[in-house]
Amino acid sequence: MAEIDAAISVKGVCKDFDGFEVLRDIDLDIAPGTTTCILGPSGSGKSTLLRCLNWLEEPSKGSVFIHGKPIGRIGTAATARPMARRELATARTSIAMVFQHFALWPHLTVLGNVVEAPVHVLRRPRREAEAEGRAILSRVGLAEKADAYPHTLSGGQKQRVAISRALAMRPKVILFDEPTSALDPEMVGEVLSVIHELAKEGLTMVIVTHEMRFARDVADTIVFMEGGCIREVAPPQAFFTDPQSERAKRFLTRH
Amino acid sequence: MTWPAIRTILDGAVVTAMLAAVSILLSLPLGLLLALLRWRRVPVLAGALAAFVSLVRATPFITLVLFVFFILPSAGIQLDPVPAAILALTINTAAFSSEIWRAALQTFSRDQREAAAAFGLSERQIFTRIVFPQIWRANLGPLISEVTILLKCTPAVAVIGVVEITRAAGRVGAETYEPLPPFLVATLIYTALIATLVRGQRVVERRIARRYGVTR
Repeated sequence: MAEIDAAISVKGVCKDFDGFEVLRDIDLDIAPGTTTCILGPSGSGKSTLLRCLNWLEEPSKGSVFIHGKPIGRIGTAATARPMARRELATARTSIAMVFQHFALWPHLTVLGNVVEAPVHVLRRPRREAEAEGRAILSRVGLAEKADAYPHTLSGGQKQRVAISRALAMRPKVILFDEPTSALDPEMVGEVLSVIHELAKEGLTMVIVTHEMRFARDVADTIVFMEGGCIREVAPPQAFFTDPQSERAKRFLTRH
Repeated sequence: MTWPAIRTILDGAVVTAMLAAVSILLSLPLGLLLALLRWRRVPVLAGALAAFVSLVRATPFITLVLFVFFILPSAGIQLDPVPAAILALTINTAAFSSEIWRAALQTFSRDQREAAAAFGLSERQIFTRIVFPQIWRANLGPLISEVTILLKCTPAVAVIGVVEITRAAGRVGAETYEPLPPFLVATLIYTALIATLVRGQRVVERRIARRYGVTR
């Protein structure tokens, strides 16, 4: 039931790296059109959980559904089989991702980065994809950088290109993995304001972040993780003013 | 030196250039293929290829030429001198260049590859659209250097009777009892060939640098 209504539904996801449990039996439903911020101390499994959502990390157990459709593994428990590579690639087209270290492709121009997947994965006509790509770039304030190469950009600009690349897929969901952690402090603002704009437009976004004030402003839901478990799921107002768990209280006093 | 003598050496130069060109066109892609197969860790095959590459790299080139020409026939593979020379050059350069490709594949940005996978590119597309366009550019220097070594290996194929530059120069010298002029001509031709390669490399590198900034 929930997995059909939810944009993202995580059921019983566990992940261990060589016997070390990083995620323990995670259940989470994320409503469509909402922004969810995942907070927690480092090593709590935030990024791993995010990376399980598009199967960049393969959970040891459990399943993930995107708008009701399974990703990575098909069927439940005993009868589960891994998706074929092609199926997985197709499933991933509805989930875009923004990485901590941008992960732009340096041999392609800014516009080339933005249209790469729309043209070669979604098979959109190049001209159409480029027109849309330019429109997206101008939305994030980079219209004049369309033909530049990534190495000429600042960190904040690179991350805005990475966000444009994500938007160009017209995804149902965008995942952000610590989008501002690799940026110089003065560039954090420009990236956060772009994400903030997107949040108002009804995209489903999941953001792993250490920016508390931003999380408070932008999130509809805060997910607090610690020790590979979700300790708290709450609206930001409730979470920041009256956290329920002892661990969250301690975390908040330190940030 | 007489005109026919110069003609003899120039004919040798054509043979050398042809041997080198064909071997380059065959060995660089083959080296890449070897590297890809090893990198994919295909069970058994990867191990066999690793052993093959080590063996070829440890074998002196002239020994490899003799092996191809004199030993392969006993396995039913009979080759004329020129094809045998091309095969030996190709095997040799494929083995050496596969190490360059392999290092390039191993050190390629994991972030970039992950981003490509996350955006739904297939394994093949990740290689052809993201990885390959970058690794050939980044390794142009080492690859060209491998190619110049190939060029300098070519005189060894004289042992199986292929008349290339050095062999031709030797003949002229033996006939005229004046070895210096023909060998000077030979040296000039080698220098011109290698200078052309290096010049080509510089031009391409400069274009890459202008476009993408520092090539890593």
